[in-house]
Amino acid sequence: MNPETGTLKLGGHEFKSRLILGTGKFSDTATMLAAVEASGTELVTVALRRFNRQKPGDDLCAPLARLQGIRLMPNTSGAMNAKEAVRAAQLGRELSGSPFVKVEIHPNPHHLMPDAIETYLAAKELAADGFVVLPYIPADPVLAKKLEDVGCAAVMPLGAAIGSGGGLSTAEMIRLIIRDSTIPVIVDAGLRAPSEAARAMEMGCDAVLVNSAIAAAKDPVAMARAFALGVETGYAARQAGLMPKSDVAVATSPLTSFLK
Amino acid sequence: MKNLPDWLTPEPWLNRNFSASDVQSALGAEAPDEATLAALLSPAAADFLEPMAARAQALTQRHFGRTIQLYVPLYLSSYCSGGCAYCGFAADRRTDRHALDFPSVEKELDAIHAMGFEEVLLLTGERSSQADLDYLRECVRLAARRFHNVTVEVFPMAEEEYRSLTEAGCTGVTLYQETYHPETYDRMHRWGPKKDFLQRLDAPSRALAGGMRFAGLGALLGLADPRYDMLALYRHVRHLQKTFWQAGLAVSFPRIRNEEGGFVPPHPVDEKMLAQIIFAFRICLPDVPLVLSTREGAAFRDGMAGLGVNKMSIASKTTVGGYGSEGSKEGQFDVSDARGLNEFCAMLRAKQLDPVFKNWDGVYRSAALFSHRSSASNIFIFVVCCSAGSLSSSSLVLSAHCFAFA
Repeated sequence: MNPETGTLKLGGHEFKSRLILGTGKFSDTATMLAAVEASGTELVTVALRRFNRQKPGDDLCAPLARLQGIRLMPNTSGAMNAKEAVRAAQLGRELSGSPFVKVEIHPNPHHLMPDAIETYLAAKELAADGFVVLPYIPADPVLAKKLEDVGCAAVMPLGAAIGSGGGLSTAEMIRLIIRDSTIPVIVDAGLRAPSEAARAMEMGCDAVLVNSAIAAAKDPVAMARAFALGVETGYAARQAGLMPKSDVAVATSPLTSFLK
Repeated sequence: MKNLPDWLTPEPWLNRNFSASDVQSALGAEAPDEATLAALLSPAAADFLEPMAARAQALTQRHFGRTIQLYVPLYLSSYCSGGCAYCGFAADRRTDRHALDFPSVEKELDAIHAMGFEEVLLLTGERSSQADLDYLRECVRLAARRFHNVTVEVFPMAEEEYRSLTEAGCTGVTLYQETYHPETYDRMHRWGPKKDFLQRLDAPSRALAGGMRFAGLGALLGLADPRYDMLALYRHVRHLQKTFWQAGLAVSFPRIRNEEGGFVPPHPVDEKMLAQIIFAFRICLPDVPLVLSTREGAAFRDGMAGLGVNKMSIASKTTVGGYGSEGSKEGQFDVSDARGLNEFCAMLRAKQLDPVFKNWDGVYRSAALFSHRSSASNIFIFVVCCSAGSLSSSSLVLSAHCFAFA
C-alpha cells in the first residue's frame, strides 16, 4: 500500500483499483469483458493456455488488451513445475508485452493447490529476469517472506481452494503474512462474496484477486461491480481505523474503581 | 481371473438396499466416497434426478466454470488384431481395412486444425503391423507440430513405449477397461492380447509412469451391470489419484451402440440411467473432467452440457480419416450427434456455455521434453516473430510460436 497516495504499487506500477480479476470460467468473452469493465479493475490475469493468437474467436488475450486502462498479467496455470512456469512466463511476456506475471504452479490438476517449492524457484528466476512477479501461494508466512527476499512485487496467498467459495479460511495465516510483509499482500482464490473481499481489505490486505465468484455468479457483471464496492468499502474502513475489538463489555462502574 | 484386486473391487458396496434418506444423505455428503456413489447409483436415487442434476451443475460450474472443452477424434487405422465381441472393427468383421499413410495423416490433421480444434485424439485398434508403435509415434509427432494437445486412444503398451510417445509430444492416454467384471471381460474379448484383463487394467498406470500427464478412464456401458462397473471405475480413478498424485484424470461414459455384427448389449443403459451415473460421478469426483462423446444424440448432449459434463467431442468421424478426405466407408460406430462444429457451438452459447478449443499450451509439453532430456535428440525451435512492449499497440503485435521436432 502506498500510504501517501492510496494507490496500490506493484513493481513501480501504480493502480487506483485494488481489485484484480481473473478471466477464465465466463460463459462468453463479451460477459467477461463487461465484468472487467464493471469491476473498475486495472489489472487482469489471463492463463497462457487461453491465449490463441491464431484464432481470435478462441483468444482471451487480444480483446482484453484492447480495453483502455487495463494491464494484462499472464499466468502460468497449467505448469507443473518451475521450469514449465518460467517458459510459460517468457512466452506470455512475448505475446502480451506485459512485464507482469502471476506465477501459478499446481502439479495436481484436480485440487489445484499451489506448489510452494516450485513456485519459489520460478519466482526467484523470473524476478531476476526483470518480471514483476506476483506468486500465487499457500497461506504460509515463511514462504511469503522468502518470496519477498527474492524480489517478488507482491505475494498472493489463497483464502481457500480455487473455485471453492470457501472464503477466508486461512485468515489467521494471512494476518501473520500481512503483519510482517513489506510488499503488498493480495488474497487470491476462495472468495465467494463481496463481504469477504471487504473483510480481507479490513484485515490489511492490499488487494484481492477474484475470478470464480464473479464468473459463476448469476449476473457476473453485477457481481463484478459488487466486488468493487466490497473492496472499496473494506479499504475505506481500514483507512478510517476500526475500533478495537474487546471480548468484555466496558463496565460503567469500573471494577478497578477502588484503586487509588 | 476371478477376483479383482482389493483396491478395485466394488463388492462391499453392491446390492445394499439404499433408501430415499440414504440418497438424501449422499446428496449432502461432505466427503463423498464409495458409499456415497453407491447410494447415488441406486434405484432409490432414480427419484432424485432433479436435485442430483442441480448439485452436479453447481459443482461443474464451481470447478470448470461456464465452459465446455472441445476435442475431436481422428481414426488412423481400422486394422485390428483384437476380438472384441461388440466392436465394428474387430478382426473377424468383414470390413474394408484402412490405415492412413503419413501424407494423409498430415492432410487430415491440417483439415481438423483448420476447423478450429486445438486438441486431437488419435485412435487405432489393437496393435497391428499396419499401425504399430513406430507408426503411432510418427503420427503423434505430426500432430504435435499442429496441435497444443495431442492424446491417444490406442492399444495398451509398456511403460517405455509410453515414454517414447510422450517424448514425441503426446500428453495423454485414454484407455477404457470396457468392463471391470472379469467373467464378462473374458467373454467379450475373444482372443488376442486384450484378453489379459490385468494387463489392460494396469495400462493407465504404465502410461502415467511413462510421463503422460493425462489419463482418461471409462467402461463401456451395457456390457455388465452398470452399478458394478461404475463403482469399480470410481475406485480405479481414486487409486490412480493416490498413486499418481500429479496425474490429470478424466472419465468418459461411452454407451455401447448396436455395432456391425449385430451385437446386442446384455445390460442396456437408458438415458435416465446414464444421466444418473454422470450426476453421481460429478458429485463424487467434483474436480475430475467428465467427457461425453458423439455416441450420444444431440438432445441428450445438449441437456447434459454443463450438467456434470465439461468436455465434449463434436464433428467427429469414426471412419478412418474423413476430415481432409472422404474417409473410409465404415466407421467403428455410428455417430449419433452428427451436427457440425458451428451448430454445436451455437447451441452451447445459447446455453451460456463458452466452447473452449484451447485449454492447454504446447509450451508445457516442450518444457517437459526438455526436463526429460539431458542430451536432446529432438530440437525445439521456439519462434517469436515479433513483440511490442506496449499493450495499447498490441493489436499490431505479430506474434507466432511454433513447435518443430527435427
